[in-house]
Amino acid sequence: MRHFHIRQGDPAPQTPAPAQQVENIGLPREVALLGRDIAGVRPHFVVSEGEGVTCGQTLFTDRKQPQIAFVSPASGVVSKLTYGSRRTLDLCVVTVAPENEKPSPHKMPDAAPREILQARGMWSAFVTRPFGRMPAPDAVPDAIVVNAVHTSPQAPDPAVVLEGQRDAFHLGLSVLTKLTPADVFLCQSPGKPLGPEGERIIHASFSGTMAAGLPGTQIDRLCPVDFGGAVWSISYQDVIAIGHLFGTGTYMARRVVSITGPQAATPKLVRSVLGARLAELSEGGAAHILSGNPITGRDAQFLGPFDDQVSLLEPRPQAADPSRQARRATIFRPLIPSASMEKAVATDTYAIPLARALSVGDSDAAQRLGCLGLIEEDVAALTRRCTSGTDYAAMLRRVLDELELDAA
Amino acid sequence: MITFPTPRIAAPRTVAGVTLSQTLALMLPAVAVAWSAPLQFVALFLVAGGVALAWEVLFCLVRKRGFSFHGITTALIVTILCPPDLAYWQLILAISLGVVLAEQVFGGRGFGFLSPATVVLSLLMISFPQVELPIPGAMLGLATVPGAVLLILMGLVCWRVMLGAGVAAGVLLSIGGPVTDPGAVAATLAFGLVFLVCDPTASSTTRAGRWLYGVLAGGLFVNFSQGAILPFEAMVFAALLASIFAPLLDRLVILAHAYRRRAGNKGGGRHA
Repeated sequence: MRHFHIRQGDPAPQTPAPAQQVENIGLPREVALLGRDIAGVRPHFVVSEGEGVTCGQTLFTDRKQPQIAFVSPASGVVSKLTYGSRRTLDLCVVTVAPENEKPSPHKMPDAAPREILQARGMWSAFVTRPFGRMPAPDAVPDAIVVNAVHTSPQAPDPAVVLEGQRDAFHLGLSVLTKLTPADVFLCQSPGKPLGPEGERIIHASFSGTMAAGLPGTQIDRLCPVDFGGAVWSISYQDVIAIGHLFGTGTYMARRVVSITGPQAATPKLVRSVLGARLAELSEGGAAHILSGNPITGRDAQFLGPFDDQVSLLEPRPQAADPSRQARRATIFRPLIPSASMEKAVATDTYAIPLARALSVGDSDAAQRLGCLGLIEEDVAALTRRCTSGTDYAAMLRRVLDELELDAA
Repeated sequence: MITFPTPRIAAPRTVAGVTLSQTLALMLPAVAVAWSAPLQFVALFLVAGGVALAWEVLFCLVRKRGFSFHGITTALIVTILCPPDLAYWQLILAISLGVVLAEQVFGGRGFGFLSPATVVLSLLMISFPQVELPIPGAMLGLATVPGAVLLILMGLVCWRVMLGAGVAAGVLLSIGGPVTDPGAVAATLAFGLVFLVCDPTASSTTRAGRWLYGVLAGGLFVNFSQGAILPFEAMVFAALLASIFAPLLDRLVILAHAYRRRAGNKGGGRHA
């Protein structure tokens, strides 16, 4: 097994870690699909507000690619459905009603694996590099990277989550090998191999800072794409769900998440559901809930599809004078290079020239510096370490959108 | 709040914090120089600081931006290096031109590519050839060390540049034969490298670029100090020329890196 030790990026925060023991909890009262998790998709709804749905039933398809379906993570009633700008999805809430559950599994159609994944709501689990989007239905990647690296003691340990799910995980990995003639990399922390060593399934281990757990870092070390090629990344829990889908014919929305942070009474691992309402997971406590870890997580009401951690933080201090603070935030401040900025980005690039290129939106320079191998989470540490206060994640997204338009 | 483990002194997160750290690092060298003529030093510093801050405040007010008070460090560096009997009008002229041309026209601290202190001193020497920068004593070199350590730990000074420059200067000096005043050369190297050459906004920002930049600055210093040139004057011009070349060095390093990455990637530049 090849091993990589990552020194750049932020070390894991020192907050109480949960006991690595999964607690089964009931279904949340509400689950939701959010438009910001499927940027660029314009939905064509096949259900309407007030209609009952079962777990795994198609809620909407992509208007441009109707074969790609997005399914309900739980059985219940579609209670809210709002559109964003230009008919993109804003929010689709399903109020959970377990009595709508139909126990009979769907029969697996005799189709190609990628068609099944697209029709049964698993396609959006893949994230492409470059650009960090859902892959095109007929795209063939140069590699698939499965992320099962455990970098922070606050996150669920994949070895614990996989207990009892090994068969589904192995089946899921073998499905992945059918999507590409190239390699499937299983990235994990040092230790016993999590999956079967097989033809085209290659194990690699990562340790070090939080950046070791970012697919961008893993792709950079294993099969870089900043100057050509395309790689997909997927989380190990989604691979379990794929294995479950192919093994039993039913859609599995259960995900293990850790509830941590300074406001969590007892940090713990729970088996919740994709898109679960976070306020219910937090026991009504925290005022400031992040979906994700404190470094790359974001303010959210529902569990993000790529997050395995919920951070409960203290409420943000109220500004004495909000208008003054808002004015302050718009001031254009300088970027003073420092060694800590230099070590913020874990991919093979030059962080300070990259920060300069991103802060002025210079897409040519950013591309030369390998920004095609990065997505927002990879530059989050840069924002925290820079004197300028520039939101590099937002600037990177702007540059990537520009480059994606040029490439199309 | 979430506390992140910090293995060493963290870099300041605000521009004013950067100014404060640099000012702290300059305190001992200032005392070392002011020791012999404190009144003259304070008077020069007040004039230099007043003029530099006045320009900064004026530009910040017009642009509606926050102050970084960086004029204080510029004034301190200039006061430490300039002769104690410098005429005030010459100082005011050089500071005004240097601060405005090297810093404020680019948008202020951190937006330009030159260190304003280097430009102020260069202007002083070019415009007034009779002005001679004093020869530093060994005390100044020793007083620089604690500040240098602080700035290196904070990541505001790159040790690669210092090492590259030190090795380049050492090799060239040893080839050139015996140095007449080794103490002065060492003190010049120490102070000049930390506060002129290694200014974070004036130096290279890529790893290979920093080595090259350091070697260039060290080599230029030795080259310029041939003959009757005083060590500080050679250092100021070496820092000026090296920082003019710094963006070019970075550019070349980035192009070479991109070329290497492109050759190493799968797919051979499908998106590039």
